[in-house]
Amino acid sequence: MNFWKLVIPCLLVTSAVLAEEAPTKVASASAKPYTVKEGNKVDNATLLGWRTWRALACERCHGAEQEGLVGPPLVESLKKLSKEEFHKTVMDGRPEKGMPPFSASKMVTDNWEGLYAYLKGRSDGQIKPGHVYAMDGAKK
Amino acid sequence: MRYEYRSMWVGVAALAATVTSVTALADPDLEKRMSDPANWASQAGDYANHRYSDLAQINASNVKNLQVAWTMSTGVLRGHEGSPLVIGDTMYVHTPFPNNVFAVSLKDQTYKWKYEPKQDVSVVPVMCCDTVNRGLAYGDGKIFLQQADTTLVALDANTGKVVWSAKNGDSKLGETNTNAPHVFKDKVITGISGGEFGVRGRVIAYNIKDGKKVWTGYSTGPDNEMLMDPAKTMTWTNGKMAPVGKDSSIKTWKGDQWKLGGGTTWGWYSYDPKLNLVYYGSGNPGTWNPSQRPGDNKWSMTIWARDLDTGMTKWVYQMTPHDEWDFDGVNEVPLVDIDIKGKKVPALVHFDRNGIAYTMNRETGELLVAQKYDPKVNWTTGVDMKTGRPSVVKQFSTDAAGPDVNVKDICPAALGTKDQQPASFDRKSGLFMVPTNHVCMTYEPFQVEYTAGQPYVGATLTMFPAPGSHGGMGNFIAWDAGTGKIAWSKPEKFSVWSGALTTAGNIVFYGTLEGYVKAIDPKNGNELWKFKTPSGIIGNLFTYQYNGKQYVGVYSGIGGWAGIGMAAGLTESTAGLGAVGGYKDLAKYTTLGGSLFVFALPDSGASPTALNVN
Repeated sequence: MNFWKLVIPCLLVTSAVLAEEAPTKVASASAKPYTVKEGNKVDNATLLGWRTWRALACERCHGAEQEGLVGPPLVESLKKLSKEEFHKTVMDGRPEKGMPPFSASKMVTDNWEGLYAYLKGRSDGQIKPGHVYAMDGAKK
Repeated sequence: MRYEYRSMWVGVAALAATVTSVTALADPDLEKRMSDPANWASQAGDYANHRYSDLAQINASNVKNLQVAWTMSTGVLRGHEGSPLVIGDTMYVHTPFPNNVFAVSLKDQTYKWKYEPKQDVSVVPVMCCDTVNRGLAYGDGKIFLQQADTTLVALDANTGKVVWSAKNGDSKLGETNTNAPHVFKDKVITGISGGEFGVRGRVIAYNIKDGKKVWTGYSTGPDNEMLMDPAKTMTWTNGKMAPVGKDSSIKTWKGDQWKLGGGTTWGWYSYDPKLNLVYYGSGNPGTWNPSQRPGDNKWSMTIWARDLDTGMTKWVYQMTPHDEWDFDGVNEVPLVDIDIKGKKVPALVHFDRNGIAYTMNRETGELLVAQKYDPKVNWTTGVDMKTGRPSVVKQFSTDAAGPDVNVKDICPAALGTKDQQPASFDRKSGLFMVPTNHVCMTYEPFQVEYTAGQPYVGATLTMFPAPGSHGGMGNFIAWDAGTGKIAWSKPEKFSVWSGALTTAGNIVFYGTLEGYVKAIDPKNGNELWKFKTPSGIIGNLFTYQYNGKQYVGVYSGIGGWAGIGMAAGLTESTAGLGAVGGYKDLAKYTTLGGSLFVFALPDSGASPTALNVN
């Protein structure tokens, strides 16, 4: 469909090679960074991550359900991207590919781990698309 | 480039000090070119934005024989809006970002020159709704390019060499440009985009000769910065025109929110030489979350009439006070003299995103007609002709619902009953030929904080075809602006995001998102001819004559809000809202592209009469 569909497989291949060389990193990343119940009730950090996703209008490029638009499908990218790579991409952007740097946003610097958790949950198929809510007892 | 501009500016300022008063002088070059229908010398073909041509070699009888004369790749993908210009034996072609310009010889389609600006790629992520550019302007022997990075460049039309350049914004603050610059007499007028980044909209006028800034008129803020005279700038008030009064903008915002007020100016502008007034619309107020910005948020969502020489505002009219749906007011403002209740009126007509078509007296600013131009519009019951305000239906008020509440089935969607795709005025029938959207939405606003250069949106939307209708997402309609009625309506599968062209050959041309160029009968909408181009069409049709032969052309290259924002955007769960079809189906019909198509009749099919000047 578009430019990104050509670029992204290349990025994913690179990531996969890196992952093979560092199996421990993959293993350590297997602990889920989010907690979810009934598909849309999440822990507080993940909730703030979703709100950050929404406030920074990430869906304009990555799609309302993270399925990809002019930007890559994050439901796929998060299967390969390490937390460190994710952090670097969000903070520094990939300006040549159209991804802006978000390090100037306090909401992003405060909540990037929650954003990672939310997107990981989406990528794992554990968190449903759309609105998410606080779990019982979680701070709103 | 920026440094060069500053040095030049100092020189110009010194010169200007010796000039006591400046009045608008006609640009004889552009006006002469526009009066000859062999040229397509401005984006709309004229100052009045009629998008009408007197050329009649291609007519309703022979259009069925129309065939491809030549094509050209632009070398760029993404959305191709606007159209080329034609001046004499040269066509000036433009592209989306990186905004290349090609001067093409009509004799043999070779390049006379190319201008390929170097722009910072960081501007791309800041551009809303695709990296489109709506085209070039011509005047005084120069081609004007408004680059995405807010640089306005004047190129020598013969050589492509930079004559002057000026900076009209700062992309680090989310300011970009997608609009075409406009040449009116001795000035080049441009605007700014960034309504989703808390940008403060304005229109800027430059001297055509040297690029000296003549005036800047803001959409929001203090009277002197908006170039308003509280006692002389008028607006429709209780059934008559009255002065706007002091601080007419500031008092409709909470605190200093007007500084992030939006009201950007990325649409099409028109000009009346007799009244010396420039007309355009301003866009949405900053943040799409209405409860965060109480008040009418003036003068976002407003039609403006400004004096070309001074920028002073003669009158304003706000269409959607306190916007709750992103109904930008930037759509074109064609100028026509039409009969209203038996009286000839110097009018302007405006098909707003909010689904209402307005007819106003362009001299005085009086509101004459305001009617829905899609019967599915439901957010308002209509405009109160005394106050000029739309009556909002509470069920569809996203402000009444409040943050984090998803308001459903609002019609039209944020991209409006019509967006930037310009309408054409058929001078023969007196009807407007209007490409429209037929799309509704859900809208959930939420609280956002402003950070310079970061998105400042604050709402999540989904869009789908208007329910209970023909299942498609667009219509092409004929509109009587004197009575406010649809004369006929032709359903389309997708939004018609392409600008229309009407010719004296009794044909209307437009393009579709699937990639068809269509010729239809302006009397009834019957299809006369169509041709499938490689990609979806969001560009505007144009026509010209070279060596006695008429040509019709258009860009083929899908993108823009409807094309890219939607083509891959709607998923099964959205489709599950009961909608039939949808933009997601677009992927079945087309893919990205970037080319120019030019059509003509085969030599044997041309009629001997090349011109039919009324």
